Amino acid sequence: MNHFDEMTALLYLEQQLDTAHAQEVRGHVATCNDCRNLLRALELEGVWLRQSLEADDESVPAHLVQAPERGGTPWGWLSAFGLGAGGAYTMWSGFVEPWRAQAAQSGFTQGNLLTMLFFSGAFWKGWDAMRSLTEFLALATLGVLVIWLLRRHLRRTTAFAVVMGAMVMALALAPAGQAAEIKHGNPNYTLAAGEVIHTDLIVSADAARIDGDVDGDLITFSRSVTVNGHIKGDVISFSEELHVNGMVDGNVRAFVKEFQLNGTVGRNVMSWVGDMNTDEKSVVNGTMTLGAGDCTLNGKLVGDLLSFSGSLELDGSLGRNVMVRAGHLRVGPKAVVAGEFKAQVRKPADISPDAKLASPPVISIVEHDSDKSYSSPRYYWHQTLLWGASFIFGLVMLLLMPGFFFDAAGACKRTVPAFGFGILFLFALPIVAIIVCFTIVGIGVGITSLMLWAIALYAAQVVVGAWLGDRLLGPSTGVGAALGRMALGLLILRAIGLVPHLGFWINFLVICLGLGAIVLAIYRYMRPNLQAAAVV
Amino acid sequence: MERRKTTGDMSAAELADVLAQVRAGDAEAWGELYGQYAPAIFRFCRRALPTREDAEDATTEIFMKVRQKLGTYDSSRPFTAWLYKVASNHCWDLLRRRRIRQDLETGDLETLPLEHPDPDQLEQLQTEHDSKHVRAGLAKMPDRARMALVLRYYSDMSYDEIADTLGVRRAFVGVLLLRARHQLREILAEGGGGMRTAAAGGKP
Repeated sequence: MNHFDEMTALLYLEQQLDTAHAQEVRGHVATCNDCRNLLRALELEGVWLRQSLEADDESVPAHLVQAPERGGTPWGWLSAFGLGAGGAYTMWSGFVEPWRAQAAQSGFTQGNLLTMLFFSGAFWKGWDAMRSLTEFLALATLGVLVIWLLRRHLRRTTAFAVVMGAMVMALALAPAGQAAEIKHGNPNYTLAAGEVIHTDLIVSADAARIDGDVDGDLITFSRSVTVNGHIKGDVISFSEELHVNGMVDGNVRAFVKEFQLNGTVGRNVMSWVGDMNTDEKSVVNGTMTLGAGDCTLNGKLVGDLLSFSGSLELDGSLGRNVMVRAGHLRVGPKAVVAGEFKAQVRKPADISPDAKLASPPVISIVEHDSDKSYSSPRYYWHQTLLWGASFIFGLVMLLLMPGFFFDAAGACKRTVPAFGFGILFLFALPIVAIIVCFTIVGIGVGITSLMLWAIALYAAQVVVGAWLGDRLLGPSTGVGAALGRMALGLLILRAIGLVPHLGFWINFLVICLGLGAIVLAIYRYMRPNLQAAAVV
Repeated sequence: MERRKTTGDMSAAELADVLAQVRAGDAEAWGELYGQYAPAIFRFCRRALPTREDAEDATTEIFMKVRQKLGTYDSSRPFTAWLYKVASNHCWDLLRRRRIRQDLETGDLETLPLEHPDPDQLEQLQTEHDSKHVRAGLAKMPDRARMALVLRYYSDMSYDEIADTLGVRRAFVGVLLLRARHQLREILAEGGGGMRTAAAGGKP
């Protein structure tokens, strides 16, 4: 027999040759050294392959290892559920509800922005179909997201029914609209004194003058608006100039260039305005929320003041707390502040000694970013504290949910999908949260989503830091080693973040990568767990 | 040949008892069965599929199938053989669905010349590369070749079972395995090993 080929040798070793052929090979091997060597090498390779494949050099994920205990009470799940419920309640009562209450005080009184701004106002009267369509689109977007997240569970018709049922119920709960009068100016519009509009009034004109009374809301789209009459509902104005000399029983929401308030507002004022002035005769019985260029408040405000403005001059009576952020702040001699006074300003505040302040004002000077001094030890101390804070956050994360921590850090290895998801969620989630605010689901859920998003943004640096530490020092086992690696990683990230200009972009990339890794880890945890399904 | 890997040491009688309870809808028994076999199936999937995430997903999905198909399991045959059959079919279906598999692979395998290895270099390759290298090399291999090696040298499947799983003729399985070995050698050699195949006809 001639030398046999490698194929024959392999089939011989694997006992796949017929008896006669195998006998022939056996006989040849007895006399041929080369073929015997080949046979031996292939046999050893087979053993080597088996041993290499059988070597256990990788851990099995925890959710594939843990089997439910026979007959045991699922205390772990019960505890987790209890803690989760407690955490959710704490978050709601401690964070979300105060924000929601604050929003309500500022005029966001009707549960969700969509209802408040549009559907209960005259602006949307007669537009029921459009309202339904908009709400449906917003809810459908959410529904699609929910269905996408639950898609693997959708084999269970109950889950699908619950989602669809919730959407239907949400739609069914949408508030009803009312009719309104719509007036177009030619080019101006005037509601004469003594005239009364018994519903809401929508005005579109070059100049609108309201000397009469409106029983409902007043909505204006005009260059100039003057309100001398009595508005029993809200005033919502999109205009260049707004003068309110009369009385408004409800809220004033102004998106104007110049806002002059001389009259009385029964509830709250919220305005985004270039210049704002309140006369000393003016009264606002609720709160005032301002985003203004220049602002002068000489009138009486019963509730809180929250103001973000370029310059702010206070010379009136403020019944409750004042919280201000301004380029320049001046408090005049006639000013009275009955509550706390907190301000962040860029220049030292000018406070008259004759101003009557119930408590000493807390005023802090905010520096420009460009003012930070790289030569100041205080700056580096501040950075050290920030590093320590992120380390403690990571420590808590590691101790509370080690599996998730390691999964998220490990997911950083999948750089491309992590970046993709990170960028997507970085921008999409706030948009979704805002959409949520505009649906019947309400502001609370929207704020909750934004808070979770903010927590995830902060956690992103921890995740990337842990991954970076692992890359530098090699994989580790145990909490101590993981903490050391995370500390090193966070230190490096913070040091790189200090580099002018480049640091910003590095931080941005870190946030994208970390956020994406968190999303991937969450996705992994949301996959159907058969063990859990089995015990349900 | 029955060397399929499992965790734990459930006896045949215990396994039969657990399977009977699972068939009767006992959730705890299902949990026990899952805990017993899921790690082993994960390890199999980890070797058969390119990424860890794929293996985790596949393990979960395989056990979904197992639960659905348990009624069709013939208890006169070994359970692990049936389980690995379900797992390998699922993994191969997964790869096929993703179109990762090279359609030209079959043709290449049938037409490419088989080059004889130098036994000395082959042994040198084995001493230079540990299991981690082999596993890393495995991940770089074409899916069919990787599946063939895993089914044969990890799951101990017969040529008939491999042919059935991969949808090829039985006579082709040997070619498949030999070519897979060659590909692995090449990958390891390119990664720094000393193995180089000798020119055709240069050795016995």
